[in-house]
Amino acid sequence: MATTTVFNKTEWDTLHKNGPFPLKQLYITRLEGKANLPSTIDRYNDVALEIQRLMQDSKAHNEGFRAYGSRWSMSSIAHQHDRVHQNNLMNLDINIFPVDVHPQSIYDASNLYFFQCGNTIKEISQKLEEHGKSLKTTGASNGQTIAGCISTGVHGSALDVGAVQDYVVGLNLIIGPRPEDIIYLERQSKPATNNAFAQKLNARVIRDDGLFNAALVGLGSFGFIHGIALEAEDLFLLKRYVKKIDKQVALQLSKTMDFKNSTVIIPGEVDAQGKPLRPYHYKVFMNPYTNDKEYVVEVMYKKPYQLPYPDPFSTIQKSIYKDLIYLLIKISEKFPASIPWFIKRLETQILPAVNEETIGTLYETFWDAAYQGPAFACSVGIDAKDSVKALEVISKMTKKEGPIPGIFAMRFVKQSEATLAFTKFPITCMLEIDGILWNKSQSLMSLEDYGKRMIEVLQEHHIPFTLHWGKNAKWAFPNLVNHMYGDQAKIWKKYRSSLLSEDMAKLFSNDFLDTIGLSDFDQEPF
Amino acid sequence: MILLKKLSVKVVLVILIFFLCVSCYSVRIVSTKGAPMPPEEFERDDWYRDKMVVEIDTIIKAGITVDDITFRVLKADCETGKLFSVEYKNTFGGSLLYLVTFGKKRKVKLKYVCMKPEN
Repeated sequence: MATTTVFNKTEWDTLHKNGPFPLKQLYITRLEGKANLPSTIDRYNDVALEIQRLMQDSKAHNEGFRAYGSRWSMSSIAHQHDRVHQNNLMNLDINIFPVDVHPQSIYDASNLYFFQCGNTIKEISQKLEEHGKSLKTTGASNGQTIAGCISTGVHGSALDVGAVQDYVVGLNLIIGPRPEDIIYLERQSKPATNNAFAQKLNARVIRDDGLFNAALVGLGSFGFIHGIALEAEDLFLLKRYVKKIDKQVALQLSKTMDFKNSTVIIPGEVDAQGKPLRPYHYKVFMNPYTNDKEYVVEVMYKKPYQLPYPDPFSTIQKSIYKDLIYLLIKISEKFPASIPWFIKRLETQILPAVNEETIGTLYETFWDAAYQGPAFACSVGIDAKDSVKALEVISKMTKKEGPIPGIFAMRFVKQSEATLAFTKFPITCMLEIDGILWNKSQSLMSLEDYGKRMIEVLQEHHIPFTLHWGKNAKWAFPNLVNHMYGDQAKIWKKYRSSLLSEDMAKLFSNDFLDTIGLSDFDQEPF
Repeated sequence: MILLKKLSVKVVLVILIFFLCVSCYSVRIVSTKGAPMPPEEFERDDWYRDKMVVEIDTIIKAGITVDDITFRVLKADCETGKLFSVEYKNTFGGSLLYLVTFGKKRKVKLKYVCMKPEN
């Protein structure tokens, strides 16, 4: 029998120390050992019962219950002030055999894999590699759990692929303590596995496109995501280049995504006519406090997997003293005018090395990101067509009302089908401001005020936008979700209310959901 | 004369502090495969914040004939018995102890992280 350790707590924090937040109890569940329960399916179903027991207990005590993975989110999306469940030891994987595939499936059976919620991107990548397969995209690193990734919309900069949730084809949700509360959800239009597969998981099948798309980026509030079926692809390599290119050319590419007619030509990355190929990944880095004529860009091209290739890891990795960073932040809080000078000095530590070239698998390219101290990240999604305008107005505000200790970057992601995906534009430009967490001082604005001004500035300039669910923002900004998603937010709430009972909808809510106005239960969903 | 004595004490102290500082460093070896064991709670504020780390800080008494010393990774601290990372710290005090005891006492400062169970 799976066992849960209960920790009585008073507070809880994220990896990057964006809290602390109040908490009563933390649960960590461990699976039954292989020696006692050799069947993977039995162990999976056994732990499902344990999760249901915890839900029943939370319900009986009228308390909330929320699952989280690696705590990478910087917003309070993963937090629940009553009870939280740390999933990262729930990392089984279940084979999907050709016999498990739905007769109308459009997917190649060899590309379908099923992972338990607590598997990290790194673990999944390694397991897939054993089968000669790869994820289609990840975030910039690999420590997030798969359930955390899809719940918050984690993305890379795969401009023709999408975000992590976009290759998910099935969800095993636990929506309450009753036997019928274990469900297996798929799209009606694109079923992947048959009913017999769901029955192995003791789940009842629901096939509904609208419900699936709503639950996909479910903000941790569509029940407990126990397992995820995903579509992988054949293992591939990414050839990565870091270049300094003319600022106007970099921005033009950001706006148009027209790589074919670009003047940026990388030898070997051209078609038969000598025109530049469209990359798999395009990222632009910007220091908002300098008037550089050139920007650092990172471009990656997809290549067939073939051995041998040079090891993409450098043997020695150095990092600067954290105490030095803390000192710089303390000075910055007192003398904000010093921030641009510090950022310029740290540029070589922050930005990738210009003219660097590497080749490796997706997993090797977007590798470990070590904890480097308290950090913040603000990330707005805009249509790539609006990227230059958005960059201009936010940079202007940052320089005028800041500075703040952060650096800008732009990544590009294909549109998602998920109802509340922040990658909602045909190609979404994720404009990111990442840096070191600071405290408000007399001369330095707070992170919350900065987040508020970002929203105001985009609204003033009539630039449609979204915000990354897992990053810092002024989430209490009035009418924010309605402004970003309009009717899609109402649809999301309706689907949530159609799936969950009212008491379970309350149990799976949290302060974040209350703040953004998405926790209400719709008595007449459909 | 007294002033000179005071000054030389200060100089010696500064030199000692300098050597103590520069003689203390650590090197970490990290696996490129596998995932680290996560901690139950985030209590640290360093590279190990999101990892369950085991620390060894001890002095081993060794005979004059003892060459190498082996540390075994025990089940109690390391469920998988497989290592994700190992950090060795060298200190001035440790080197000095080794020298003055002719290798009989060996200061060991280690941190290691085990692999997360694969299930």
